[in-house]
Amino acid sequence: MKKRKLMAMALSCLMVLAAAGCGNGGGGNAASGSAAGDSGSSAAAPSQSSSAAQAETPTAEGAEITLWTYPIGKWGDADTVNGLVANFNAVHPEIKVTVEYLDYSNGDDQINTAIEGNQAPDIVLEGPERLVANWGAKGLMVDLADLWTAEAKSAIYASVESACKSNDGVYYEYPLCMTAHTMAINKDIFEAAGAMQYIDEANGTWTTDDFIKAVQAVYDSGQANVGAVYCNGQGGDQGTRALVNNLYGGTFTNPEHTEYTANSEENIKALQLLYDMDGINYDASIVGGDEINMFCNGTLAMAFCWNVAQEKNNQDKISFDVLPMAFPSNGDPKLCGGIWGFGIFNNGDEAKIAAAKTFIDFMANDEKQAVESVRASSYWPVKDLGNIYEGDELMTEYSKFVPYMGDYYQVVGGWAEARTAWWNMLQQVGSGVDVKTAVEEFVATSNAAAQ
Amino acid sequence: MAAEKKNPMSKALVRRETMAGYAFMLPSLVFFLGFVIYPMVQCVFTSFFDATMNREDIFIGLANYKELFQDTVFLGALRNTAVIVIVSVPVVCIFSLWVSSVIYDIKGAACSAFRCIFYLPVVTGSVAVTVVWKWMFNNYYGIFNYVGTSTGLLKQNINWLGDERYALGCIILILLTTSVGQPIVLYVSALNNVDQSLVEAAEVDGATKFQCFWKIKWPQIMPTTLYILVITTINSFQCFALIQLLTSGGPNHSTDTIMYYIYYNAFKLYRYGYGNAMGVVLAIIIAILSAIQFKMAERD
Repeated sequence: MKKRKLMAMALSCLMVLAAAGCGNGGGGNAASGSAAGDSGSSAAAPSQSSSAAQAETPTAEGAEITLWTYPIGKWGDADTVNGLVANFNAVHPEIKVTVEYLDYSNGDDQINTAIEGNQAPDIVLEGPERLVANWGAKGLMVDLADLWTAEAKSAIYASVESACKSNDGVYYEYPLCMTAHTMAINKDIFEAAGAMQYIDEANGTWTTDDFIKAVQAVYDSGQANVGAVYCNGQGGDQGTRALVNNLYGGTFTNPEHTEYTANSEENIKALQLLYDMDGINYDASIVGGDEINMFCNGTLAMAFCWNVAQEKNNQDKISFDVLPMAFPSNGDPKLCGGIWGFGIFNNGDEAKIAAAKTFIDFMANDEKQAVESVRASSYWPVKDLGNIYEGDELMTEYSKFVPYMGDYYQVVGGWAEARTAWWNMLQQVGSGVDVKTAVEEFVATSNAAAQ
Repeated sequence: MAAEKKNPMSKALVRRETMAGYAFMLPSLVFFLGFVIYPMVQCVFTSFFDATMNREDIFIGLANYKELFQDTVFLGALRNTAVIVIVSVPVVCIFSLWVSSVIYDIKGAACSAFRCIFYLPVVTGSVAVTVVWKWMFNNYYGIFNYVGTSTGLLKQNINWLGDERYALGCIILILLTTSVGQPIVLYVSALNNVDQSLVEAAEVDGATKFQCFWKIKWPQIMPTTLYILVITTINSFQCFALIQLLTSGGPNHSTDTIMYYIYYNAFKLYRYGYGNAMGVVLAIIIAILSAIQFKMAERD
């Protein structure tokens, strides 16, 4: 009997411990993680730079490289990417490229696990928040300084360039495409409510005062749910950040991206305004994706989580006129941007690094291929390639927002923690906690993580 | 000579059979050691380290445990988990016993139909169940708000999952619906196995239905009750999928549970050591509670 009891208790423990133990990848694999880190340390980076100049040398010949890509437009679609790789192999048949497709729900886990097991891909296609602020900062990436030639620097927009390098000036990303995240309104509802008078339709902009008046007009017309400050999770959080920062000109970090500054008076005022407005709810039961669905089905009159891809992907669900808008601001709007490009993991194989640089150079710099590569992303080039979407009305309409792209602060340290703390802070504000208290707590948590 | 008669197998045969027995056990044993014991030991070991991705672990002794009990979010998660256990375990046990005692002696298809109905949420994927509940609780067009406002019970829509006053209650309600299926099936079996001759004899002696249940059936289904108590307690402590899919621990940490907080630390923040320390604490709590449950059952 005693044995049976002991057995039952032991099994109870095992069930829990096994579940918790599944997450452990640290202890046992520490050595391999360390090895990867050592080989990719920043101390090793200069030697990579010098060897990188040999990108076109025979060292790349016969190399087999792996490209892992997040779903950036059609870069997540095998048929499209196979076509792009075929273009590359037509010029560089000596380099074999194997592609794996990641998604945003577990892509980071896959890459981190691969790093732990010394199986990191050679090339990864993503944005500065991962390539520069995460893996680059950990010394796992190759310095791409040799790809950033004087010609490249003069061609690529300055704001993009600054996002692609670390604070100490090491380039960990070579950019391909970019977009500016906007918001959108249901034009039919706004027209019916007489709220279009508050909107500069041609430029897609509005002032903060006009935003307040427009929301009130829509609310008074009987639309109880005008907009939602969604905060169930981090999905689509760039929308709520941009909204809060733009209303009164607040910033999320300092210009050096070393400190979170969301506790400024401007941001507190903006958060309080949103809390007090009729028709705007802090909604802790939805994330950005839910908000988009509710906007598309007419439940909400505006979406804070929007960009051209949303309009393209949801065309069959939308039965009204969508008007993309910049976030309300008293000056030039500062939109949150997405910049995507290539980074190279330092796997210690010079031939593969050289081959990877050849691949990146072809995809991003070849005159004809660069256009095709960017078009595959469904976004815009990071340098002037002419109007690559000529005849495409939708892309032309959204292209007016690209110049509004603001500071790319996502490279700040402690980004993962800050993103979580942000929606937790919004939940606190929504549940009635004093705005200043909640924001101060957010900044303290985020700055602690940034250290 | 007498012993040889009692056990006619030769020692060699016994040894061969024993060896064969161990050989048959070996695959399971290897699996058990590799996928249960090893992670368990690793979990305890790593809880003493500052362990994360892409760098060497740092030994920090009991610092994770010290931090744990100063972490207000963890303490809140512990409280929420306790509420879930305290509410759901008795409700699940009492409700499933009540339903079972009503349906166990129904003959034929009706009993099977009831069992199917109550067991359906168990075999339905938790994601599918959650999606339906999420729709029903929707702030804007959920059926609860629709019915509530249509009938005048609610003055305005309630954000069931987005309001900290209601969110945990909603989670518990969903948990109850997905938890009662298995206990009902077990209780129906246990009640069918009760010795009917004792019940009939008691009825002849003038015992009431309640007395029959309390004095005859209840003691005989006690092992099943104990099993259900332990399993429901463990399941309630490990409530995770609902939280992950519905609220992400919000609003304002009001639905954080220990399991979700373990997941959050381990897989969102990559704080494996800290997450494992929570796992160890949770295991200890469950072990203590299970021991208490066994002790109480033994006394009964």
